[in-house]
Amino acid sequence: MTPSDEKSPMPAEDLEDLYENAPCGYLSLQPDGRIIKSNRTLSTWIGIPADKLLGKRLRDLLNMAGRIFYETHFAPLLRMQGHFQEVALDLITVDGTKLAVLANAYEKRNDDGALLFTRVTLFQATERRSYERGLVDARLASDKAEAAMRSELDLEHENAELREQFIAVLGHDLRNPLAAINAGTRMLRKDALSEKSLGVLDMMEGSVVRMSGLIDNVLDFARGRLGNGIGLDRNANDPLEPVLLQVVDELRSSHPGREIEIVSRIVEPVDCDRGRIGQLLSNLVGNALTHGAADLPIRVSAMTNGTSLELWVANGGTPISKNAMARLFHPFFRGEVRVDQEGLGLGLHIASEIARAHDGVLMVTSDPQETRFTFSMPLVDRVN
Amino acid sequence: MSIVSRNNVRVRGHGQRTMIFAHGFGCDQNMWRLVAPAFEADFKTVLFDHVGAGQSDLTAYDAEKYSTLSGYVDDLIEICRELGLTQAVFVGHSVSAMIGVLASLKAPELFESLVLVGPSPRYINDGEYVGGFTAAEIAELLDSLDDNHMGWSASMAPAIMGNADRPELGEELTNSFCRTDPEMAKAFARVTFTSDNRSDLPHVTAGTLILQCRDDIIASEEVGEFVHRSVPNSQLIVLDASGHCPNLSAPGEVISAIRGFL
Repeated sequence: MTPSDEKSPMPAEDLEDLYENAPCGYLSLQPDGRIIKSNRTLSTWIGIPADKLLGKRLRDLLNMAGRIFYETHFAPLLRMQGHFQEVALDLITVDGTKLAVLANAYEKRNDDGALLFTRVTLFQATERRSYERGLVDARLASDKAEAAMRSELDLEHENAELREQFIAVLGHDLRNPLAAINAGTRMLRKDALSEKSLGVLDMMEGSVVRMSGLIDNVLDFARGRLGNGIGLDRNANDPLEPVLLQVVDELRSSHPGREIEIVSRIVEPVDCDRGRIGQLLSNLVGNALTHGAADLPIRVSAMTNGTSLELWVANGGTPISKNAMARLFHPFFRGEVRVDQEGLGLGLHIASEIARAHDGVLMVTSDPQETRFTFSMPLVDRVN
Repeated sequence: MSIVSRNNVRVRGHGQRTMIFAHGFGCDQNMWRLVAPAFEADFKTVLFDHVGAGQSDLTAYDAEKYSTLSGYVDDLIEICRELGLTQAVFVGHSVSAMIGVLASLKAPELFESLVLVGPSPRYINDGEYVGGFTAAEIAELLDSLDDNHMGWSASMAPAIMGNADRPELGEELTNSFCRTDPEMAKAFARVTFTSDNRSDLPHVTAGTLILQCRDDIIASEEVGEFVHRSVPNSQLIVLDASGHCPNLSAPGEVISAIRGFL
């Protein structure tokens, strides 16, 4: 700094110039709303000299939409609270184009509360307005996209529900003809038949057992999907063991040539739905028959140990791949099966659902020696 | 939900007769704050907010119901019936003037007289009829509502909170006055400015007072005269007040005109 700088006095702010050439537009309105004074900045922006603005109203500088909004919103607001701030308005310039501004206004009143002036400050807001426009457009676009997605999803849900209802009805309707076939084979068996015919009947009966198992699974799956879940008819009084033995017997007779061993030691009452546990076992053994090595026995064990029931089914053969393991209990998972063995892939899914309904779990271990599915459920005295 | 809380109905004053005040597009029942108290000594006064405005229950907003004036008309009739009003004095500003007219046609027992402040049966010009706006101008208004609500709902609302300058108005009013959900405001603007109720006016049977401001761009003197010519038993008073809201800008004039009429 030089000595001469220190001595020169700060130039005083030129208030007249500040008013006329301020970086914002100024307007003062009389109590009747007519313009009594305005600055040069505003005149420059809109191309109308100050003397031409005298006597006009603020609304005369606006487009029609702005006028309506001003009269219905901002004028009452100003009257009510004495000021408004950050109001978005469009001024109409001398050549008819719109100039976006933000307006603040304050009423100046005397000591008696009588209105002297209303002072209005205007700031250019072209950039800001177009940004806000962009935001509104973006929001509209995103609302629209969301609505479209939602209606697509709703449609998908509706379709899924229809499909599942269809499955439920179909499964139910298949039961009647199957029952007729079953009755028919039993009647034929009473007649004197050749060895060959008896063999065919055996096969037919085996198919009936397998098919009714498939239908049960389909129905349970559809029911579960329709939100009803798997219903249980629990009973702790009747023994579970005979049910399990019968399931194994049926499967043995429908799969001659396959060896199924069962060891059962159920010494405590099991509060379960016996039909469901039978279905679970049937599904697990059915799975072992399909995927296990045909020349190795399938072993079944059912035990109680004071706190839980443990039921497992083991087979030999190729172990389940890691990949398959992750999706094993998903519906319609079919693993790597031969075409002639194709089922719906619902057996393990239903079995795991039955386990869950009994507050139990279904787990699997698989290695080259053995693949074993283990179901365990707690033995709790549900009455107390 | 009760009708009283749905429409934020406030009953004050005492008297054998009842006056019910309805606010127009833009603000809420506080529009009557400088007028209604003057009648509390001799009248029971009823104020309310249209659903979507002020402190009405916004959850009661039904886009379909309020897509025509009849949704608002039904609400007004429900409020009157809930309060057991008959032969009341209806005072309606702006679009609510027409809401009152329609309610009086639908339920003639409710109102013995109507006071219409700045009424307009149709805002858009139509042949010989001068409503004051072209269809394009109204379309521009509806488009521009978005502009203002960007600054309006987010930044404007806090600005309305403080009211240090005019403490007599109280805090509760400034918090909500003129604040409206943007979507509802837009729908209300559409209903208001696209309505056409000219053919209803000749059927009005209640004694009617029309209060017309000078220099009102929303409802011009020409429109006021049209209403006066169309409503059989009507009287037109042109106020000295200018603008669209004499209930705020010239409450004294409005009060004495209504008193003279009653």
